[in-house]
Amino acid sequence: MGKLTIGCFASLVGSLNLDFAVKLSAAAIEKGHTVDLWVSGNGTMLSIKDQRPFKDYSHLEKPLKELMAKGLTVTACEACAEARGYNKDVTMEGFKRHSMDWYLASTFDADRVLHIGGE
Amino acid sequence: MKLAVFVSDYRMTVDTLDRLSPEKMGIILVQNGVYHATLKENGTPSSILNKSAEFYALKEDLETRGLDTSMVDSKVKVITLGELVDLMFNDYEKTAWI
Repeated sequence: MGKLTIGCFASLVGSLNLDFAVKLSAAAIEKGHTVDLWVSGNGTMLSIKDQRPFKDYSHLEKPLKELMAKGLTVTACEACAEARGYNKDVTMEGFKRHSMDWYLASTFDADRVLHIGGE
Repeated sequence: MKLAVFVSDYRMTVDTLDRLSPEKMGIILVQNGVYHATLKENGTPSSILNKSAEFYALKEDLETRGLDTSMVDSKVKVITLGELVDLMFNDYEKTAWI
C-alpha cells in the first residue's frame, strides 16, 4: 500500500472539488492506502464545525469525521482559514491547521500527489 | 513519465492538454469533464477524444448527471473511485488537474 497526498484549493460555491477530494480519500483509505488531505483557499471552509446538512446540498462534515476515525489526516492552511475568519473556536475537532510547509512536507514522502483546483 | 490528467470541466478548448506530451497519458474525466465522454456537437465527439491517451470516465459523476454508460464513447472506459485509486497507484506516476 502507499501514501496519497491530496491538495484541494476549492473554488467558490458550486465547485465540487472538495466533494471529489473527500470521496477520493475515502476510496483510497478503503484500498488500504494512507491519505493526507490539505485544503487551502476557500477549501478551508471544510474545517468549520457544526455546518448544517441541507437536502441536495454538499455536507462533508459527517463523512470527514468517519474518515478521520479511519486514519485520514486533514489539514487546513492556517493563513487562508484566518483570512476568512475561520479561527480555532469554529474548527472541527481533529482538523489540523498549519502553514503551507506541512503540505510540501507531505508531498515529499507521498507515493502519489493530486493537486486539485485553484481555478 | 506516465501522467494521469484529471479533466474536471467541459470547456471545449482545453489547450493545456495540447502542451502535455508524456510517455504515457491517461485522461480521467471527472465532474463536468464526463460530458466529454458523452456529448457530441453537430454529431462530432469532443476533440479531447482525439488525443493519444487512455480515456476513463468516473461512473459516479456520469450517474450524478443522469448519463447512462451506454451513452459513453467507446474509447472511454467507465471506472469507479476504487478503480481510479488503483490507476493512480499502479498505472500512472504523476497527476495533473485541469
